[in-house]
Formats: sequence, structure tokens, C-alpha cells
Amino acid sequence: MNKRKLLTQLLALCLVFAIKPYYGGEISIKLNEPTSFTLNTANYSNLILFSLIYENFFYMQKDGAITTHVFKDYRYDPGSRTLVLTIKDNLSFSSGKPLAAKNIQMSLKVFLGANLFAASKLNRIIKNIRVEGAQTIIELLNDYPDIVAMLTVPELAVLAESEQSFSGPFYPEEWEKGKYLILKANPFYAGGRTFLDAVRVMFSDDALPDVFLSSPKSVKENYREFDSGIYQNIYLCFLQGDVGQNTKIALYTLLKKFNEASGFKYRELRTLTSDEESPVSIQIKTFSPQKTASILKSSDITLYILASLSYLEKDLTAFLKNSNLKIETLFIDDSQMMNFLNSSAIKYVLIDKIFQSKIPIEEKISRILKESSFNQFNVKYLRMLGELDEVKYSNSQDLLMEQIARISEAIINDGFIFPLFQKNYSLYIRKDWQATEIDYYGRPLFQKASKNSD
Amino acid sequence: MKKIRLLLLFLFLYPGIGFPQSNAEALVQEAADHVRAFFKNQAEARVAIVQFENDSELSDLAMQKIYQLLTARLEGDPNFKMFDLLVNFVNGRGEFNLSQAQELDYLLYLKFIQNKNKTGLGIILFSRWQDKLVSLKYIEKNLSQGEMDLLDVKNFAFPELGFSKLTEFEIKKNLMDVQSVSGADGQLEYYFYYPDEIVIYRAKGERLEKQSACKLNWTRPFYPVLNYQGKLLLFTARGGLTLTAGGNFSSYAQVLTFSENQWQETAKIGFVPFKLLVFNGSPYLVGARYDEGKNFFRDKIYFMPFSDPAVVSEIVEKKSFPAYAIDFSTREGQLQGVHLIDRDYRYHLLTGDLAEKSPEAERRGASLAASDDQWLAVSDYSRQTDQIFFYDITAGGQRPVYSGKIRGEIQFISAGVWQAVKGFWVCSRLSQADDEYGRSVIQFWGKRNE
Repeated sequence: MNKRKLLTQLLALCLVFAIKPYYGGEISIKLNEPTSFTLNTANYSNLILFSLIYENFFYMQKDGAITTHVFKDYRYDPGSRTLVLTIKDNLSFSSGKPLAAKNIQMSLKVFLGANLFAASKLNRIIKNIRVEGAQTIIELLNDYPDIVAMLTVPELAVLAESEQSFSGPFYPEEWEKGKYLILKANPFYAGGRTFLDAVRVMFSDDALPDVFLSSPKSVKENYREFDSGIYQNIYLCFLQGDVGQNTKIALYTLLKKFNEASGFKYRELRTLTSDEESPVSIQIKTFSPQKTASILKSSDITLYILASLSYLEKDLTAFLKNSNLKIETLFIDDSQMMNFLNSSAIKYVLIDKIFQSKIPIEEKISRILKESSFNQFNVKYLRMLGELDEVKYSNSQDLLMEQIARISEAIINDGFIFPLFQKNYSLYIRKDWQATEIDYYGRPLFQKASKNSD
Repeated sequence: MKKIRLLLLFLFLYPGIGFPQSNAEALVQEAADHVRAFFKNQAEARVAIVQFENDSELSDLAMQKIYQLLTARLEGDPNFKMFDLLVNFVNGRGEFNLSQAQELDYLLYLKFIQNKNKTGLGIILFSRWQDKLVSLKYIEKNLSQGEMDLLDVKNFAFPELGFSKLTEFEIKKNLMDVQSVSGADGQLEYYFYYPDEIVIYRAKGERLEKQSACKLNWTRPFYPVLNYQGKLLLFTARGGLTLTAGGNFSSYAQVLTFSENQWQETAKIGFVPFKLLVFNGSPYLVGARYDEGKNFFRDKIYFMPFSDPAVVSEIVEKKSFPAYAIDFSTREGQLQGVHLIDRDYRYHLLTGDLAEKSPEAERRGASLAASDDQWLAVSDYSRQTDQIFFYDITAGGQRPVYSGKIRGEIQFISAGVWQAVKGFWVCSRLSQADDEYGRSVIQFWGKRNE
């Protein structure tokens, strides 16, 4: 029996009428605590959290099928090179305020204005966005039949003008900082009221939640494991050009040592994307412990770490304390990162990038180059990206791999980003809960989740 | 051929062997003979069974059968008139509608008793005028285990002679209700209620022909749902056809009237009307309210005096139970009972004044409908393959009579008429067990002989 048929049967079980699906109950999920409710999908935890309160334009299922809850019709006309999105009637945000075509237009514009790889790709294609009644009309510069697939990215969500209105299946109701966040079912959710009454997002380890992320093959009784298809790469970045090569290697060596000391909790990463698919392997020769210590002893280092890596905090702080080095760690919110870029005080940053394993390697390398070179992005990189685009359409795998290797080499030689570790995720869901789907981006979708009443 | 001839000869010679009477039947026959013998020289005595207890291992279902077998033998006797007052048989006791007891001349008490290998039926006859016991009889038979099992089986009658599927149509998804009304030329028109429109059909032979459609425009607050549910009500008010349409996606129901050849919205009501009933000589819209966006009704029954389709009067509410399905049985426009399936799949019967009769322990499906004060149809508590059970509710309770298998899962049941036959519309979605998974069909179940 194929997976699709199995899923259909599982869904059928929850949609039967002779015994109706039960409305009620609360599911608990362990995630990282957000800093605000401003849409931010920079890491896997946020990707899940924000999918609960913000509705995407489109969803891509694991088998590549595209669905939408917001539009009653969408069609691309190659002749006029327009995509017409017709919004469903009478939709509302969680506050009850109308959700109309102008909100779709505004959300799309916010997305296009964001410094994201997916947005820059769309920006190159879209000529104009206008609203006519219930329709949002997107005019393209060239014929692009795959435009709808490009609109399935998790960052493209329906936003309200007011921050207190949410478009997702749930909306924030109660936030006990450091402990939990209660999300209540949105009665106006475009996809149809969820069977669940609430989702409890837990930030502490007080109790075992119904849903959590963990390393693959962590055998848990009464839980089903789902391959999320997501991995998180952790990189060491140097934002200023005046950092010496020895300091870079010493800091890199220290962080590698940290992983070794914590029992290789994280997978060593020797490429910019993943070791399985990359045409080049990056070998950065580390220093001996003595040399590392002698270099870093004289340096006054503040290592900035993105909040999405907050799970490193406890172990890393303890490790640095034991090393007797004068290295201070400072966690910054992902959304604040851009504001720090112009500050010359920020030299060393630990960043992460979330990748879906199915995304082509050329897209991943482009994202790294565009999103992680920060203020060091230059004409050379722009030219390299242009060449990458060209070889993409040449249908030559060899040429493509060659170009990816060339970009990887240039990035490493320029010395602003060193790959460190990779963290793989599996999603664990308690067996009592049925009909939870996992989408293409590895997010659990709770729209049809309900507690097994049998 | 030779074998058949031999068998026929054998049957003619030994008819008792060919059609042996069961001991249960013999027991009932003897009891009936005794009662009939008592009334042999009387004229028009009014008699009813008013008490029936079971002290045997047989189930309540078996007792219903024994009761039916006995009353079938007593009805139609020229010397007395037999009244059927049984409402239900639960927990070893019969429940009777005793509101008519004052009109009876004789009361019958029955007791089913198990005595080692034998099973007995005790009959006590009481004269209301003499205020005395006038007859007592105990009959005992040896009921085999097989016969007991047969009595416990959930079959009551042959569907071919009772309710059966008279027609079936494939429909587009999200059908919520079907109602019918006579058109201007007297021909029946069938109204199929979808969330965004009501499609009006007429029957042409065994098929439906679309006549027109009435688009429904809902306004905010609008609650998108995973499964659409709703009720449609059609009636004549102030000489014109009026309809009310409500569902689980809106907090109000629309009232539309047909005038100048089109449907026009005249009012909005804060609950979903099911029936237009008469209380103290005044018409009332009676209904319930869905928990918005969900698949069940809230725990209240709503009543609204109705005189004009454009006027919304003050709504009175009475407490009931949160329910997956509700319907109202009526007699000549008056409320007889409220039938509902609660969120734990238990059936509840509320009387006309909303007092509850004892709920049942057995679980039912999530759909039901009542046809006037005669029949109640209920779906089965099952997944993927469904059944429909038909109960006789003439006496105010429910007695199982027929059942039928349904392909897929029942989404709703609605009382209606198909080509002059009264019965029930049953909408089901085919399950993955069927080849055509995802299709929805509407069937009409009725009694061919009516």
C-alpha cells in the first residue's frame, strides 16, 4: 500500500460521519520560545510555531501536491502571463476583521520586501500586483508556469494590518514567559475550524509533550517518528574583514572541540550544504589545543549567537568557562541580526540555516551566498550567482556541479563563513493523536488532528 | 424432479414436519388464545398491555419480538379492541404510554420467566371497572438455545416488505439537507440544500431534473468548517412559500420568501429552524443552534413565535443536551417528542414538554430523523460501513422494526417524500472500502406498500 493511500485512509477515519470526529482537547508541543509574534521562520522551531498562527498562501504536501485554504480558485494564464488568485468569500482574521484580497496583496508585498532568497527569486519574476474585487492579480515579466509552486514557501503567509490578528488555525491566547504559550483555535480559520481547541507550546522540560523534535531514531514508546526532511546547518561567520586568519581558525578549532567535548552531539559538517550532496569537501586544518589557547588568550572575543541556537547556550557557556578563555557569548534575536550588521563591533557570529533536504543544492548554495555573506556581498558573488542561473538551464549536471564547487571554494577562501555542524530532526507525535500531516517543509499540520476516541 | 415430487408428497402427508411452529411462537399463541377465549362473549372491550417484565436471560430486543408476536395475534379480534401502548423496552421492563389508560376497560400484565430449562409467560388480566383481577394464566415451554439466539437477533422485519431503498442519486459534495414541497401545479419539487445554493429539482420518472437554483449569500461572521452541516425548512406563510436555511458555518439562519418569481431574504434568525409547530394555537419556529464551525448542536432548543417571514420575534430557549443530531416528531403540527443523539452517541427522547425519558445505554450513530409521529430513522454506531434502523414511534417511544445496510457512511438523514411515498432521505459518503471513494450519494428509503 502506498503512502498516499495510507494517508487517505487515515484521513477517512477522521472524517467519517457515522462516528463523528471529536471537537475538543489540547495538544502539547515542545518548541523554542519566540521573542515576538512577528513572522519569523528562520529556524525549524519557528517554522512550526508560526505555521500555527499564520496561514500560508499555499501548502506543498510531501508528494508535491499543492493545496490552499485561502483561495477558492487560482489559475495561471500563460498568454497574459498573469496569476489570478480568487479569495474565498467572507474570510476573517482571528479577531473577526475581514480578510480580503487587499490583505493578500499587502502580504505578498511584505514578503517580496524581505531579505529572503525565495523573495528575491520572486522579485525577479513579478512585474505588478493589483487587486480587482476578490481577485489578486499577479502580472509576471516572463512566462513562468511554476509560479504557484514558488508561492508555497513557508515565509509567504497571510498577514493582517494589526499585529493582534492572525490568519492561522490558532491564535495566541496566553503567554507565560519561559514556561508555555497557549494557542486557541481560530474560529474563523480559512481551512475550517480545527478539531483541537488549543495547542500548548511548551518551552521547558517539565513534562513530556505530545509532539516534539529530537534526533532521528530516538526510540520513544507510544510515539510515532516522522522524518521531517529538515536539517539545520550551523556556521561560524566573520562579519568584518579585519579578523586575522589565525583567530578565525583558532575559534573554529575551539568550536569543533566543543562538539567533541559534548560527545559529538552534532554531526560534523564538511560542506556548505550537506556532505551527501556537495561536490566539494571542505577541509579546514585545525590548530593544536595549545596553539588555539595561545591565540585566543590575547583576543577579546564576543561571540554573537542567533537565538535560534539557544539550545547551545548551556553546554557552550560551561565549555568556554572551563577553557579559561576570555570569550563572551551574546544571544541575539534573528530579526535583530540585520540591525547589527553595520556595527563594526560585531565580528564573530554563530548562525544557522534551515534546509529541506529535497531542495536542489544550487538553491541552497545560492541562499548561503545571498543570505550569509551579509555586508561582504559583492559584484563577484553577483556574477557567480548569474553564472549559476545560466548553468542551471544548460541541463548539464557536470557544469552545475563545477559551478557549485567554484562558489563553495570562493566562499571558503574569502573566509567569512566556516561550516561547523549539522543537526537532523525527526518529529515525534504521541500515538493517541491521529491525522496529523507533515508537509513538504517538515511542518506538522494540526488542522485535522484529533484525539483517537477508540 | 423425482426428488421434488417425493418431498412434496412427504410434506402433504406430514405438514407439521414441513412447517413446525417454534416453541416461542407456541408460547405466544397459547397466551393469545387464552386472552381471546376470555373476551369471547364480550363486545368492544378496550384492552392494552400496560406492564411487561422480563426475568429471563433473553434480551430487551427479544422481549420486543415477543410483544409484537402477541399483539399481532390480539389485534383485529372482533370481540375486543387492542391498544398498543408500548413506548420502549429497556433494562428488562416495558415502558408504556399510560396517558390513555383511563380509556381502557381491561389491563394486561405480562411477565416472562425462566425456570431451569423452561421459559414461561405469565398473564394477568385486570378489570378496571371491577377493580379486580379477572384472569391469571401461566404457560411454560422449552425454548432451545438456538431459538433464544434467534429471538435476540437484531432483525425485526424483512426490509423488502418494510423500508427499502426506493431510489439513489449521485450528488455533488457538501449536500446538507433535502426537503420537498408541492409546486404551483401540484407536482412535488425537491430542494437540495448546499452551503452556497439550494437546487430545486422535479422528478422525471426515476431521475431528477433541475428546475432552478437559489443562490445563498452569507455574510460575516462566517465560520469556515471542515464538514458542512445544515437544515432546510420549507413552509407556507402568508400565502407564500417560505424557507429557512441554517448551518454550522453561520451564527444565523436565513429566512427567504418566494415572491415575484424569485427568492428574497426577509430576515435572519439566531438559530437553525427545524420545524414550524403549533403551541397553544400559535405557530412557532423550533430548532437548535450549532456550535459555530463544529459538528454538533449546543445544549438548547429554541422556540420563536412566527407570524411574518420578515419579523424576528423574541426567542425562548429550553435546556436539552449537546447533540450530534436532533429531530422533532409531530402530530398534526404539535410537538410529540424531541429525539437526539448526544456527543457520547446515546439516544435521548424528550417528551413534548422537554422532559427526558430514560436514556439508552446502547450507542447509536450520529444521524437521525423523525417522520411525523410514525417513524424514527437512526444511523449505526460504526465506522466505514453503516446501517439505518427504523423505529416505530407511533406510541411516543421507539420500537425497532426494520433495518437496512448503507454503503459508506451516513452524513445525514432527513424525513421526506419521494413520489408520494413517505420515508427518509439518507445521504452517505462512500468509504475507502468502496471503489468510488469520496463520492456522495443520496438514497430514499420508504415503504413500497404505502
